[in-house]
Amino acid sequence: MLKHWWKILGVAILFYVFVAGLLVPLKTGISAVSPQKVAPGESFTLEVTGYNSRYTQAQGQIRAWLKQDEAHALAAGSVTVLDDRRLQLAFAMPEYLPSDKKVQVLTLLIDDPVDGAHVLPSAMFVTQDSIAPGLAGSAWTAHPVEGLHEEWTMSYPFRNILQETIRNAYFHIPMWFAMIFIFIGAVISSVRYLRKFDPQDDLKAAAFTRVGILYGIMGLVTGAIWAKNTWGAYWSGDIKQNMTAIALLIYLAYFVLRNAFEDPDKKARVAAVYNLFSFAALIPLIYVVPRLYDSLHPGSGGNPALGGEDLDNTMRLVFYPAIIGWTLLGLWIAQLLYRADRLRDRLWMNA
Amino acid sequence: MKTARYLLPVLCLLTITPAFGQVAEGGDFMHSIGKIYVVLAVVLAIFIAIILFLVFLERKLTKLENQIQQND
Repeated sequence: MLKHWWKILGVAILFYVFVAGLLVPLKTGISAVSPQKVAPGESFTLEVTGYNSRYTQAQGQIRAWLKQDEAHALAAGSVTVLDDRRLQLAFAMPEYLPSDKKVQVLTLLIDDPVDGAHVLPSAMFVTQDSIAPGLAGSAWTAHPVEGLHEEWTMSYPFRNILQETIRNAYFHIPMWFAMIFIFIGAVISSVRYLRKFDPQDDLKAAAFTRVGILYGIMGLVTGAIWAKNTWGAYWSGDIKQNMTAIALLIYLAYFVLRNAFEDPDKKARVAAVYNLFSFAALIPLIYVVPRLYDSLHPGSGGNPALGGEDLDNTMRLVFYPAIIGWTLLGLWIAQLLYRADRLRDRLWMNA
Repeated sequence: MKTARYLLPVLCLLTITPAFGQVAEGGDFMHSIGKIYVVLAVVLAIFIAIILFLVFLERKLTKLENQIQQND
């Protein structure tokens, strides 16, 4: 049992990732508002649909603003709680906005002691016919946004388009991290083969590469499912999608090449060299090219990697273990493949 | 007979798919409850991929076992 410690560790970590990743709730959010367009001078009732909200418990203590910028926010005149999920906010939009834009976008901000502060960016669009920021009046500054309830709770951020799919950060993203680690293992094995010509190293490299491709395919498929429900299409030709698909095709050719040779020494030597080449191609395809183009991935245009706002400290508690857990599982699978291949080679030698 | 063993799960999957389709048409199944079913689909995709890989490994080992029997 002792020599299997890392397999047990990997499974234990993945168990934690599944439990924490699926059970920790999302923060309170706002999933919908109506109406989304109003004219200046209009009094209206804003229907709010909350997510994971407990408005009946917070009744009487709920405050709401339509915020233009840090200095200007319009407070709701009255707040009516319909149930835990639904609010009615009465607003009186002044005749003039403290803005010189024709169409001003406002953020809805709701604060209560039970759920804390939660926002909906771009909640409302106000079209001004006459622009006069000087006439905006005191309504925009009379009730400033202050005394917000922001306590730390064990919960994941609520993002309007992502919603619960933010949990895919523990299943989709670690696939790519694990894939890279496993491909690094393959490169190390190939380099060792080229130095000592030990056939075992060639088998190890082949096993690592198989698992790396498995992880790459799982990454592409999970990414496509996620994309369909957030970006609207399984494959939108995003730079990262295209480049990883190319990288995986290059890696698939490794096996085509490996199976094309009869002579085991030649096979292993060509495969090892090609493996170095594919890894050398993988790095620019995944880490360099996507940074040069716009991408739908977070931090698009410049840095398609994990941004600070999309991964908060609570998520880090699950995300980093997820990378370790999926990598260890991949190493386990690779070890099984390597042992099966080694058995086969021993059999052939005896036969 | 051997192919039937691998075909059966695939056929099962095919018969389930239309049922999923009906739910999706009615009330936007994948986007309900904060899109939680997207997470389910992602986890299921990983699960299915790993199971398929196990089937691959299983066949590989069966082949080896047969060879050992022939050698004896």
